[in-house]
Amino acid sequence: MKGRTIVITSGKGGVGKTTATANLGTALAMRGHSVVVIDTDIGLRNLDVIMGLENRIVYDLVNVIEGKCRLRQAMIQDKNRLELYLIPAAQTRDKDSITPEQLKGLCGELENEFDFILIDCPAGIEQGFKNAVAAAGEAIIVTTPEVSAIRDADRVIGLLEASGLHRPKLIINRISAEMVKRGDMMGQEDVESLLAMEVIGLVPADERTVAAANRGIPTVHDGRSTAGAAFKRIAARIDGEEVPLQQLDARPGMFNRLRDMVGIKGRAYSHA
Amino acid sequence: MRELLRWLLGVADKGGESSSDVARQRMRLVLIQDRIDLSPDKMAQMKQEIWEVVSRYMVVDDDFLEFEVRRLDELVMLVSHIEVKDLNALVGARSA
Repeated sequence: MKGRTIVITSGKGGVGKTTATANLGTALAMRGHSVVVIDTDIGLRNLDVIMGLENRIVYDLVNVIEGKCRLRQAMIQDKNRLELYLIPAAQTRDKDSITPEQLKGLCGELENEFDFILIDCPAGIEQGFKNAVAAAGEAIIVTTPEVSAIRDADRVIGLLEASGLHRPKLIINRISAEMVKRGDMMGQEDVESLLAMEVIGLVPADERTVAAANRGIPTVHDGRSTAGAAFKRIAARIDGEEVPLQQLDARPGMFNRLRDMVGIKGRAYSHA
Repeated sequence: MRELLRWLLGVADKGGESSSDVARQRMRLVLIQDRIDLSPDKMAQMKQEIWEVVSRYMVVDDDFLEFEVRRLDELVMLVSHIEVKDLNALVGARSA
């Protein structure tokens, strides 16, 4: 077996890399794949809390790399017993604790046993970014439709190219169809043409994602979450399935909202 | 009250640009400027190639060849200064 190692990166912090990693990892595992998600944000770990696994950590990424434990000992299985494992970041160390070669070696080892290895990259373009990028064969860039995030995404695309990661895919996160319609937010076409890269998914701004994070349950488990549905579609695309990008409809009007409340199925507000 | 009136009259000042239009235009410029920040060796390569092309038509100083990126309203311009050494060679090129 030869698994795929994908880095999830953004440049700017706070755009949803960790949420995307947790959800894509979970969605891929729900599709029947074996998945390892690695938190490489050493010193500022978070993937564990998003996945609700923070109480199960014994060993971490740095322990594995330093040979203090076996690889399997640092892999924490998902709460729902999916074939999904988390390797948490060390919290009390810094990003220089590991080298790009070491992470590359680790991912190479995992590729022999798992279908997907998703690397949650730290914000910034320093050592942690370099480590994460060196280990990956593919890249997904997460951005939001905001000027700061787009600018940083553009920088990251250049850096990925420079290190041999070509044709990264773009996730536009927290897009609000209502704001786009009103002219107060850049839409898919805008972001796509500015960054000149392939969009692999649009994730609507969805309050349920915040609630899911509070509970430590990735939002793909929430059948009513529009963001969760969007992440499932992205996972299908990563998996090679042809899923057309759906345009975001504006938020539902009173009728649709009512229809939602009474649970009538329909094309309420779609998502990609 | 004025806000309410504006709202009643339709989305704020509809004649003006929306904030997403402004964002798009600003990003277009910013990204070009960020991108044009070529690495030193790429820049040297570009200089060399431009010098080669220009010197096919006139005699130019290879020491004096400069670039700058200028911003003129909406335009980002790559401006090049090239010293022409021999004007006769330039005239010669014209008649050729």
